[in-house]
Amino acid sequence: MNKALILKRIFEIIPGGLSWSIIVSLILLSFLHPVSSAIIIISFDFYWIIRTVYLTTLLVMAHQRLFQQKNEDWLARCLKLTANSGFSKLYQIVIFPVYNEGLEVLRPSLLALSGSHYPQEKLIVVMAFEERNIHAHDHALILEEEFSGRFGAYLSTFHPDGLPGESRTKGANATWGAKAVRKFLDTQGIAYEQAVISCFDADTCVDKEYFGCLGYHFLTSPKRHQASYQPMPVYNNNIWQAPFFARLVEISSSFCQMIESMRLEKFVTFSSHSMSFKTLVQIDYWPTNMISDDSVIYWKGYLHYNGDYRVVPLYVTVSLDVAYSSNIWRTMVVQYKQKRRWAWGVENFPFVVNGFIKNKKISLLNKLRRSFHLLESHVTWAVWAVILVVIGPLPIFFGGAFFSQTAIAYNLPKITGLLFKFTLLTSLTWIFLSWTILPPRPKGISWFKHVLLILEWIFVPFIILVIGSAPAIDAQTRLMFAKYMEFNPTLKGNKVL
Amino acid sequence: MYASQKIRSFLFYLSVFLFFIGLPFILSFALGYKFNIRTLKFVKTGLIFIKTQPAGAKIYLNDKLIPEKSPASMQELLPGAYKVTLELAQHYSWQAQVEVEAGKVSRIDKVILFPVRPNLQQLNQEEFSSFRIDTEKRLVYYLDQEKKVLYRSDLEARNFEDIASLPDKFTQVNGWDVSVDQKKVFIFNQHQISVIFFDTQADNEYAASTVFLDHPREKIINVFWHSDSYHLVVLTDKHVQVIESRQGALPVNLVGLNKKSSTAFYDTKEDTLYFSDNQRSPSGSFYNNLYKLELSANLYVLEKLNNQPFGQVQPLEKEERE
Repeated sequence: MNKALILKRIFEIIPGGLSWSIIVSLILLSFLHPVSSAIIIISFDFYWIIRTVYLTTLLVMAHQRLFQQKNEDWLARCLKLTANSGFSKLYQIVIFPVYNEGLEVLRPSLLALSGSHYPQEKLIVVMAFEERNIHAHDHALILEEEFSGRFGAYLSTFHPDGLPGESRTKGANATWGAKAVRKFLDTQGIAYEQAVISCFDADTCVDKEYFGCLGYHFLTSPKRHQASYQPMPVYNNNIWQAPFFARLVEISSSFCQMIESMRLEKFVTFSSHSMSFKTLVQIDYWPTNMISDDSVIYWKGYLHYNGDYRVVPLYVTVSLDVAYSSNIWRTMVVQYKQKRRWAWGVENFPFVVNGFIKNKKISLLNKLRRSFHLLESHVTWAVWAVILVVIGPLPIFFGGAFFSQTAIAYNLPKITGLLFKFTLLTSLTWIFLSWTILPPRPKGISWFKHVLLILEWIFVPFIILVIGSAPAIDAQTRLMFAKYMEFNPTLKGNKVL
Repeated sequence: MYASQKIRSFLFYLSVFLFFIGLPFILSFALGYKFNIRTLKFVKTGLIFIKTQPAGAKIYLNDKLIPEKSPASMQELLPGAYKVTLELAQHYSWQAQVEVEAGKVSRIDKVILFPVRPNLQQLNQEEFSSFRIDTEKRLVYYLDQEKKVLYRSDLEARNFEDIASLPDKFTQVNGWDVSVDQKKVFIFNQHQISVIFFDTQADNEYAASTVFLDHPREKIINVFWHSDSYHLVVLTDKHVQVIESRQGALPVNLVGLNKKSSTAFYDTKEDTLYFSDNQRSPSGSFYNNLYKLELSANLYVLEKLNNQPFGQVQPLEKEERE
C-alpha cells in the first residue's frame, strides 16, 4: 500500500472514528463515572443551547435578507451596470444532470427556466441524460420539441456508462454535459469567462429572478471567477402534499442552508449551485468518481486558487421536491437514504486534507481552520442528537445509588429541562419562519393543515435522531470501513429524482 | 454583506463569551457549589428535596418559612443538620431532623400529610355481623346473622340491596365468602357448609334451593372458593378437601393433616392453597411446615364437569369414566 493510499485511509477513518469514540466513551462514562458524564452532558447542553440561539439569530438575519431581496428586479439592476461590466456578453448555462427522472419532473424545471425574468437568448440549457437510461433518447426528443426554441441554445447530451475512472455519479454526468457545452461555446466563439454555469438537480425550479440575481452578483463580485454562487434551496414544490415527517426534515434542511449562507468562512456549495465556466474548465469540472460533487467542486476551486476561493450567497430561492414515498415508513427510509447521501459529504474530508498536504501555498492556519470546520461539522452532525436524546439521560438511569444521592444527579434533569425550555423560544422562531416560506396553499388542501404544520414540530426530537444523527453515523462508518457508497437518486413522491 | 458579517462576528464572540462565562456558574450550581462573596471562595453545599402528598405544604427550615411550597428543593445549604417542618392546613404537620451533606441531595419524598379530620364515611345503613369488600367490583357485602340476610352496596354506600337469605337452621356462622362469579355465597359452621344462591340471579338454571354439605365427623376450620366458583376448598381438622357446591356432593380428601388447627391462605388467582401442618421429628418433637397445594391442574376433570350448567350436573356414566 503506497503512502498516499495510507494517508487517504487514515483521513477516511478519522471522522467516523472520532464520532464513535465520542459516543462510546460517553456511554461508558455514564456507567463508570456518572458525575463526569453529567458534567460533560450539562456542558454540551449549554453549548448546544447557545449555539442554537446563535444559529437561529443567523437564520432570522438570512430570512430577513431573503425577504428584502424577494421583490428585487435583478435584471433591471444588471441593465443599469456599466457597459464594460460585460452583462451584454454574459451567457448563462444551465445543466440538468438527469438520471431516470421522468418528464413529470423535468418539464416543470424547464418551464420555470423559460419563465425566468432574463433574456432567454442568453440562456444555454443542457439536459444531460444518462445513456444507460432506456428512456433517455425518447425524453430528450420530447423535451427538445417542447423547449428547444425557447432558449438561446438547447442541448441534449448522453453520458456513456462505464467510462474509465468514473463512478455512476451525478458529477460524471454533469462533467460530460459541461464538456459538450465547452465544445458548443468554442464553435460559437463565446469566451469561457463570459459564461456562468449553473448545475441544477433535475427537480430544481428556479425563481424568475434567479438568473438576474446570479448575473448581477457575478458581474459585481470582486474576483468573480474565484467564487461559486449559491442560491437558497427550499423544498417547496410538493411541500403541501408531503407527509409531515419529510416536510419537517426538508424545512430544517432549507434553514440549515440559510444559516450557512451567513457563515461565509464556512460556506460551501450544496445541491444546485452556479460558478464561472472558465473556472469550471480550469479545475477540470466536477469530480467524476465522488457522490458529493456539489461540495467537492467548491474544494477543487479552493485548492486551485490556493484558498482564495469563496461562495457568494444568492438570496433568491430555487425550489426542489420534498423526498417522500407512499407511507410514513417508506418516507422514513427515503429520507434516511437521502440524508445518508448528504452525510456522505464526509468524503470531502480526506479529499480536502490530502489536497492541503499537497498544496504549499495555502497558509497552515487556513488549512487547520478549514479542516477543523469540515471535521467538526460532520462529527457534530453525527453525535449531537445522540448526546442530547440518548446519552443525556443515561447517568440518571445507570449512575447507581451513590450517584443518585449527589446534587448533580438531582440537578441534571432540572438544568437540561430548563435549558431545553429555553430552546422552545428558538423553536417558535423556526416554526414562524417555516410558515413564511411556505408556498400558497393549493386548492383542495384544508386550512387545518396550517395547524398541523405547527403541531408537527413536536416530533423534532425523534426526527433529529432518526434523520439527524443516524444517517451521518452510517455514512461515516461506511467510509471508515471503505464501504464506498454509490449514487442513488432519491425517490420523491411518485417521482424519482 | 460586510455589515451582516460584522454582526455575525459580534454574535459569535458574544456566544463564546456567554458560554465560557455561564458554564462555570451552571456547573458549580449543578455540583452544589455556592460562591461565598465574603471569602471569594466556592463552598460545596447540599440540598434538600421535599415532596409531600398532598402537595402545597408550607416548608419551615430551622423554623424559618421558605417561600416555596412542596414539592420544592432547597439548594445551596451548607452541610449540617436542619430542622424541617411541613405544614398544611387541616392536616397533621410533619417534622424531622435532616442531615445535609456536601454535594448530595437529601430526599424527603415519602411524606404523607394526613388530614386532621379524616375522610371518615359510614357505609352501612343497617345492622351487620361481618362484611367483605370486593375492590375489583367495588362492592361491600354485609352479613347480618340476626336477621339472617346478606346484602350489599357499592363502596360509595349507594345501591343497597338484599341478595340472599340465610337458612333458618344455620344458627351459627363461623365464616363466609362470596364466590368469584358474584352469584353465590358459602357460610359454614363447625360441621356444615351451606351454599346460598343470590336472589338477584335471574338465571333459571340456578338452583333456587340452598345447598347443604355436611361434615359430621370433621371439624371445619376454613373454606375457600375455587376460582371456578363451583368447587369449595375445605380445611378441616383432619384433611384438605375439595367439594362441589351441589347437593349431595361428597368431599375428596386431598391431604391428611396432623394438626388439629391448621391455618391456610388460598390464592384464588393461581388456585393454590398454602397451609400449615405439623410433622414429627425423629426425636419425637413436633414442628410446623408450610405447604403449597396447586389445585387447578388436579381439578381438571372436575372443571370439565363444571362446564355443564348448574343444577344439571350428572355423575359420569361408568363407560364414560373409563
